[in-house]
Amino acid sequence: MQNQNAVLIEPMEDSLSPLELRARAGYYQLLAGAFAEEPGCDYLAALRAPEAMAALVDLGFQFDADFTGVPLDELQDTLACEYATLFTTSGGCPPVESSRLTGRFQQEPFHDVKAIYQHCGFALQPGKFAVFEDQLGVELSFVAALLENQAAALESGDMATVKRLEKEVKRFWATHLGRWVRGYATLLARATEHSFYREIARLLRDFAEAELALLKVRVDDVDGGREVVPKSEIEVLFNPDEPVCGGCEHGKTQNGAYA
Amino acid sequence: MLNFKITRRAFLQASAATTAAAAASPKLLRAMETELGGKDFNPVGYSERKAIPITCHVCNIQDGALAYVENGRIVKLEGNPEHVSTRGRLCAKGNSGMWYSYDPDRILYPLKRVGARGEGKWKRITWDEALTEIAQKLDAALKQDPNSIMLKYGRNRSGGVVDRFMNTLGSATVMNHTSVCESSKKVGMEPTWGPDIETPDFANAKYILNFGSNIMEAAYFHNPYSQRLADGMADNKAKLVTFDVRLSNTAGRSDEWIPVFPGTDGAVALALGHVILRDDLQDSDFIETWTNVTVAELKEHYQQFTPEWAEKLSGVPAATIERIAREFATTKPATTYTYRGPAKHLYGSYNEKATMMLPIMTGNIEVRGGYCMPRGMGWPQPQPEPPKPAKPSWIADHPDYPLAHHKVSHLTPFWIAEGKQKINVYFSYQDNAVYTNPGSDAVWGKLYRDEKLIPFYVCMTPFMGEEATLADIILPDCPYLERWEPESMPNSLWPWLGIRQPVIKSLGESRENRIMMRDIIHKLDPDGKRGMKKYWDFKDGEDYMRHHFDNVPGLKEAGGLNFLKKHGVWPIYGKLDPATGKIVDKTGREIQPEYGLHKKELSAADMTGAVVEKNGAIMKNGKAVGVQRKGKNYAGFPTHDRIINVRVDEWAEYGFNPMPTFKQIPWHRTMRDDEMILTTYKINVHKQSRTSAVKWLAEIMHSNPVWLNTETGKKLGIKTGDLVRVESAVGYLVTKAYVFEGIHPKVAAISTAFGHWAYGRLAQLKLKTEKGGAWGAQDDPDLNNVWWEDKGVHPNQIIPVVADPIGGSQGWYDTVVKVTKAGPNDKYGDVKASWEKHVEAFKETMRYAYTGDLHRKMHPEMASWGGPGSVKHKEGGGH
Ligand code: SF4
Repeated sequence: MQNQNAVLIEPMEDSLSPLELRARAGYYQLLAGAFAEEPGCDYLAALRAPEAMAALVDLGFQFDADFTGVPLDELQDTLACEYATLFTTSGGCPPVESSRLTGRFQQEPFHDVKAIYQHCGFALQPGKFAVFEDQLGVELSFVAALLENQAAALESGDMATVKRLEKEVKRFWATHLGRWVRGYATLLARATEHSFYREIARLLRDFAEAELALLKVRVDDVDGGREVVPKSEIEVLFNPDEPVCGGCEHGKTQNGAYA
Repeated sequence: MLNFKITRRAFLQASAATTAAAAASPKLLRAMETELGGKDFNPVGYSERKAIPITCHVCNIQDGALAYVENGRIVKLEGNPEHVSTRGRLCAKGNSGMWYSYDPDRILYPLKRVGARGEGKWKRITWDEALTEIAQKLDAALKQDPNSIMLKYGRNRSGGVVDRFMNTLGSATVMNHTSVCESSKKVGMEPTWGPDIETPDFANAKYILNFGSNIMEAAYFHNPYSQRLADGMADNKAKLVTFDVRLSNTAGRSDEWIPVFPGTDGAVALALGHVILRDDLQDSDFIETWTNVTVAELKEHYQQFTPEWAEKLSGVPAATIERIAREFATTKPATTYTYRGPAKHLYGSYNEKATMMLPIMTGNIEVRGGYCMPRGMGWPQPQPEPPKPAKPSWIADHPDYPLAHHKVSHLTPFWIAEGKQKINVYFSYQDNAVYTNPGSDAVWGKLYRDEKLIPFYVCMTPFMGEEATLADIILPDCPYLERWEPESMPNSLWPWLGIRQPVIKSLGESRENRIMMRDIIHKLDPDGKRGMKKYWDFKDGEDYMRHHFDNVPGLKEAGGLNFLKKHGVWPIYGKLDPATGKIVDKTGREIQPEYGLHKKELSAADMTGAVVEKNGAIMKNGKAVGVQRKGKNYAGFPTHDRIINVRVDEWAEYGFNPMPTFKQIPWHRTMRDDEMILTTYKINVHKQSRTSAVKWLAEIMHSNPVWLNTETGKKLGIKTGDLVRVESAVGYLVTKAYVFEGIHPKVAAISTAFGHWAYGRLAQLKLKTEKGGAWGAQDDPDLNNVWWEDKGVHPNQIIPVVADPIGGSQGWYDTVVKVTKAGPNDKYGDVKASWEKHVEAFKETMRYAYTGDLHRKMHPEMASWGGPGSVKHKEGGGH
């Protein structure tokens, strides 16, 4: 089932500098911090630092007073509850690929990413809580680690490793992240009641689009949270009331003749 | 090119001549379905999947199953062909069990409530934080009174762990769910012949009387029993007659469905007995040899129960009763079977007793094709074991219900509200009382929300059921495919021991019951100084199982736990014959059970030091171990005097009729013309409360219109699909009607399992309405296609409590209701009920207890009874 959707991977035009690779890794890690577990005080304090806030505002992400204007402890507590409501209690939307794509935990994506981590020399280490291998925080951390390694390989001139890791990242987007994070981010932005997760979800979505463009990976997002365009916003290029053929009642003119 | 000129006719002619050759030709293909029992293959790569034997626990029939695992995933469940009862078949529920493990609404971490109770605000906490908080509360409670720690369990198959936990804490306040299940069936039977259930030998019977059991789809033990029933009806031409208020799937497949007025099965059974005894069709030798009454006594007692009397009560024509009685008594072997139908009434114990008298008086006990005792096996507990609590608990050993040895759990909220027992810490284990009990949210929800009555509530569950939403701490339990548990169930005539073993590692941070409870005790007694830790000295679930199974005689020689891990069940009685679906021995013959357990003769060693009393009871060390009859020393029945007690003297001590009898439910007698009885029932693809979120099952059935008879519909002007209001004395609900012939005209029936207001998005259809509820799940066509909009309406809120004063059962089928067309302001799914009205119902039902003012009025035949003051109180404690 997993690879049935359209995937197109093209070669990237430019190789990136170690600096750029590390900057991207930083974004992955930043996003991972919001999902891997309840955001901690250090993480939140760093994110609320004026420079970080300013940078995010520049990018178009605007956190409300519920994030910027409350004491750190209180914020941490509020976000822990929001985290539980969104991700760890019944009726929420766990940030877990298996759950998003198959409607249940620990299915093909779980086993697949586990094998990929292993193949790349990684293993999940227990944090404060046990998480699934296909949890968003883990998947994002994985790419961050690959990018860090890619930067290091670039610095040491190991171009074979650079190419291998670049392929690995692309493949991971094509077979995993690219299939669900954009749709999921859309859903999360709708579901949350806190500006932190709303803006993080927007960041996730925009970052995913940017990464896919950069990596030249084209893959359909099949997560059920994909934006549903309201019918009223659909522009039709024909008049739906216009008779299409004369073979049905609809196509008859008032006097019974066929148009 | 060769050109055969053969016509179709020529082909047909030739085929007749070549049949023998065709038959002799080797058959290299067989239907996979039968050939592959016990094996499974990947449909794409054909690699064999790993099969792990387990015991199914979607419901409590405990069928032997195989879980097929591929690349670490459970991909399929099917029956274990080595299991003597299951014979390789599971029901629809059993086939769907893996969705419990993988349910994305499953609770995977300890959760702590952060808002008001029920507000839905939670924080994930670590196990250590959860255990620390629980241990602190337990410590404080222990200082006040160990009995202020309460545990109520629903489905407990832990094999003794829950009792060990509560005994370790020294609390006797353990409540079960039996009174909303079948306790009056148990209490109706136990003092009479010992066991709490019968094992009918359907496969070999010639005549089967079924009273209120939906054996082909939901009753105990429907999967193995429906197979045997089909064997009996097809191979043995057995006749099945079903008395039921409803045309259940069992009634529909019976030779005769006889609708009865609710709660009157007992009267019908007594009238059947009347005809049998009047016409001298009884088995006099059996009665005189194996019961504590004479034929003459019985004949005299039964004179009052005429078919005409029963017809007035039940609506079953006297002529039908006469005919069925004669058929039953003269067709041998014959058996009865009952389940909740007769037992879940105000005087359910009397009904059960009345029905079991039929196989007794016709001598169909413990014979091939008859009514047999259950066969089970036990296992030893790990040592050392904690002692029993020092003090009885008021609510667990309730003084007003001394004969209800399986407790009267459904009255607990009222007793706690009355202040009869102070609760400091309340645990629930797999028990969604807020959904499953009478009064539902109006009663149990009210109790759980009240922090004065329940100051600290810990819910052990894998799912956010209605009860869990009201907890202070939720501990993530494992669904059954991730647990170790010992099993044995008398679901056929062959005793067996079985195991449940984890098929996959538990997901997230869920922990199975014995680990959770061990961890709580270890936190409470870290250095063992409290003397608790020593009872919880085991490494893991498997280690615990070794204590159970490695020293069971017979199993030990076969390999103990290792044998069970490999086969799932012990003993293996034979092989499943794919052609017949039966278990056969080495010679290809179907294996036969052992009958006549009561006629097992005692050995010389058994008799050493034994004394035979005047009534024949063989006494040893102050206990009856057998009974002497016709010069032989038999094992007899497991009662206090080893014979069948048709007359239960203990009942008379409390002013109840010790002989078979029937009591009409007083409020049924005074019902008005426009009133009906509400009855509930279970269906074949759901169990009571825990399957609505299982997608395959939810798709098959997800709503529950109220069944009404055509005649009733006409009278009320109600058609199928109409919105109706069903109103009882405690509340009302609004649902849709389903009008047809298959129900008694005075009955309205609503099935359970639906109308959840918690339990996850599929049960609640939350995904349809809430913005965060979407599944995603594009790869899953089932979930991507939840096409239904109707989740049903749950009836329990409008069902008031009723307690059988003998057996303690809830009178599920006693509620008087009025059904009317819904009003302009009624909406589908509206349910309203009031705590105050439920309290009135509670007070009313207590009047029927042996201490209540209506007890004497209901028992004029016991006029010589000395009243509650005459009762010598015995030590409390259940069976
Ligand atoms: S009846 Fe069905 S659900 Fe119950 S134990 Fe058997 S297979 Fe499992």
